Amino acid sequence: MDYSETTGVAASGEYLTFTLGAEEYGIDILKVQEIRGYDAVTKIANAPRFIKGVINLRGVIVPIVDLRIKFNLGGETYDQFTVVIILNIGKRVMGVVVDGVSDVIQLSSDNLRPAPEFGSVLDTRYILGLGTVEERMIIVVDIERLMTGQEMALMDAAV
Amino acid sequence: MSQFYQVFFEETSEHLASMENLLLNLDVNDPSLEDLNAIFRAAHSIKGGSGTFGFTDMTSVTHVLESLLDRLRKEEIPLLAEMVDAFLEAGDILRAQLEHHQGGPEAEADVIASVCARLNQLAVGEAAESQEQDTPTETTTSAPVRKIRLSCELPANQSQVAESVDNLLEGLRDIAALEVKQRPDGTDGHLIAVLTTQACDSELKDALAFYCAPEDIAIQPEVEEEAYGFFDDLGDSSATDTADIGYGFFDDLPDQTPSVVPVSSADDDGFGLFDDAPGAPAASDAPSGQLAEVAPGDSPAAIEGIGYGIYVNAPGGLGLFDDAPGAEKILQNSAPPPFSGKTAAAFVEGVGGAASSAQATQKPSQADVGRRLPDNPSIETAKSGRRDNDKTVTAANTDTSIRVAVEKVDQLINLVGELVITQAMLAEAASNLDPVLAEKILAGIDLLSRNTRDMQESVMSIRMLPMSMVFSRFPRVVRDLAGKLNKQVEMKTIGDNTELDKGLIEKITDPLTHLVRNSLDHGIETPDKRIAAGKNPKGTLTLKASHQGGNVVIEVMDDGGGLNRARILEKAKEKGLAVSDSMTDFDVWQLIFAPGFSTADVVTDVSGRGVGMDVVKRNIEGLGGRVELESSPGFGTRTVIRLPLTLAILDGMSVGVGGETFIVPITTVIESLQPRLEDIRTLAGDSRMVHIRGEYLPLISLAEAFGLDGEADITKGLLVVVEAEEGKAALFVDELLGQQQVVIKSLEANYRKVPGLSGATIMGDGRVAMIIDVSAVTRMGLSQVKQRLAA
Repeated sequence: MDYSETTGVAASGEYLTFTLGAEEYGIDILKVQEIRGYDAVTKIANAPRFIKGVINLRGVIVPIVDLRIKFNLGGETYDQFTVVIILNIGKRVMGVVVDGVSDVIQLSSDNLRPAPEFGSVLDTRYILGLGTVEERMIIVVDIERLMTGQEMALMDAAV
Repeated sequence: MSQFYQVFFEETSEHLASMENLLLNLDVNDPSLEDLNAIFRAAHSIKGGSGTFGFTDMTSVTHVLESLLDRLRKEEIPLLAEMVDAFLEAGDILRAQLEHHQGGPEAEADVIASVCARLNQLAVGEAAESQEQDTPTETTTSAPVRKIRLSCELPANQSQVAESVDNLLEGLRDIAALEVKQRPDGTDGHLIAVLTTQACDSELKDALAFYCAPEDIAIQPEVEEEAYGFFDDLGDSSATDTADIGYGFFDDLPDQTPSVVPVSSADDDGFGLFDDAPGAPAASDAPSGQLAEVAPGDSPAAIEGIGYGIYVNAPGGLGLFDDAPGAEKILQNSAPPPFSGKTAAAFVEGVGGAASSAQATQKPSQADVGRRLPDNPSIETAKSGRRDNDKTVTAANTDTSIRVAVEKVDQLINLVGELVITQAMLAEAASNLDPVLAEKILAGIDLLSRNTRDMQESVMSIRMLPMSMVFSRFPRVVRDLAGKLNKQVEMKTIGDNTELDKGLIEKITDPLTHLVRNSLDHGIETPDKRIAAGKNPKGTLTLKASHQGGNVVIEVMDDGGGLNRARILEKAKEKGLAVSDSMTDFDVWQLIFAPGFSTADVVTDVSGRGVGMDVVKRNIEGLGGRVELESSPGFGTRTVIRLPLTLAILDGMSVGVGGETFIVPITTVIESLQPRLEDIRTLAGDSRMVHIRGEYLPLISLAEAFGLDGEADITKGLLVVVEAEEGKAALFVDELLGQQQVVIKSLEANYRKVPGLSGATIMGDGRVAMIIDVSAVTRMGLSQVKQRLAA
């Protein structure tokens, strides 16, 4: 797949921001299908720990990824405030568990600073940039690239 | 127009398929006229359709095809095996052309040309022969039908409209065999036609009543055949005749020259009749003029020129020829190959010789009439019969079936699937109600569940297609391959009406084709080998489909030499596969499913490359089915494919493991039981086996296999004994929850394939449950056992 296009386009526009632990992340709002509470999931055998399982979203089987586990942020509690963002990526539907959804913000490419290169858990390839809004730092993630990446193991290798 | 393309494509494919089917079932020695007519109809419909949509390449091929078929169904020429071959090839070409119009690759022009040439040759090559044969039968033609000449004057407003004339002629054709001698047009409303009919005058007048006044219609017995012999049915075959006479010129006989004069005069006389018919005079002028020119040249090409000359120079004539079956004859007769050299001479002798005699004007015509007369009643009655048939067939089709896009059906199936889930949800919610207080609700829910089940079944049956959809293509494959391999093979199909999901039907075709090819190539021996083995030189290949429980079983059987155990083992060793001489037959046969495995000495274009059986197996397993082989040396091989009835719904047993629900396909379940501790044995220290009625089965804990915290105490759980491809196994689960029909949802749609699971479903409470892939789990369990044994 070619992501150069998405990278370019997603650089400015509206972003949905959510919190994971103490950090704030932003994703392209056009990729978001809906936001819902966390339900019981059905575990999938032999899946990585950050894949919580699958849920029934109105007849569609949707895998759920806990980004807190994926990003090693801890605090894996699931209560009535835990939120699942249902994403529509390509032709697939998938959900990510986050601590909370905060805002929809407008970011232009001028407001985006490149992320410094250092060995974080989150590969900088998946970071479009760092945005600043009222003293808050928002990590803008290329969610499509992240979710379809190999290490997420959300897809068959051939796809 | 383009919105009808799809309909045309579909219809044409159907016509092609039915044509092929009929051809394959045709008994060459005694073809049934009905079948020939049906084949002709199919070709004719394709021609008509392709003409309408402007696919001229298809029209021209069908045209040639139709000409030969037409002669066959008129019994002018006998059916030969090579004709059937040529027809089948033509069918292939048409299919290729059809695909091309649908965006596929272009059909190869030289192949088309060669097949067309062959068809022409067959049609014409036989023409000379049949002509001689048929002439004597002239006397037998005095059928109860009478031949009459009908002439009438159409009012200008009728004759100017081509459609109206067409309708009129069509109406007449329904009651009579029609030869239009003069077609009315804008300038001249005179219609002259020769009818061969059993209808009386008043019936004919009735047929025309809509178009013209009865007093304008003149009906008289047709007499002038003698005088105007070959022109009596210009629309039909005057061109043929002209061509025939033309060949008289090229006869090497010494009396060639005298023939010129009478023939030309015949031309003039004959065509004189049509002087006021536009087009016709042109036609008459052209050939006579050209005949004279061509005569000295003696070249087939020139002859061709004449044949076409009639077409080209007579635009009016084209219209005339369009409806006439005879039009094709012109093409055939003018096609160059048969007339070159000796064939031409031979062909000419009958007609040309006659033409050269003193009564040249009449003789050839008699010969011609003689040849045509016997045909006319039969053809034309057949033709009108065909019309009736066509009508009833179309009427029946429109009444009993509709074309619906598959997506619509799938959508319906999905919706019903949701309904089933909702119903299950309701049933579950209601199960807590007090049966006394909520009697009515519970009764309603019972009814609902019955109705949903019925509904689901009937909706699913929409997608079901009979196996004959797949089987019908094999007679052709077998026929072609058997011919190529010089083997004699008879194909039988059993259980054509067994129904299978459309999706499965589509996907099973390729693997089955492969198995059939394999059977033919490797299984069935050559006739001499078979005779030496004391068998019927004709091998038998049987395709059988049947229902067995929730499965459809498809078998491919041959009575060939069977698999060679020693050969397979030897090859397997060569390839470095782990084998031993003491393996069971079953295991040895499984070896041929290994990738790249082939015992064939010679790689042919039929098979032998060793790709295939592994693909067959993979494809079938991908469909949730399995393949088994049985073989006995000298007696044949049987390949058994087991497939689930449908890919969408499954009868499952729900089991609980570590708080999760799993579905075990009920077709794999043999029994469930509570294990006793003393039945549990260990193998090599820790692999557990369970002893059930004398059998030791590997015990697979689902909790372990799926990494869940299940019941550890074996006596508190339950064992579900399942049978998979690899054999039986006992699955250890915490509890049995129930049995229900579940709608299979793909895990891959949004996630990926999970080893050990074949999909997921949504339970009555809205939760997701995983469907266990029993073979995979068994394999996982067995491989664990093997690993431990190896370690």
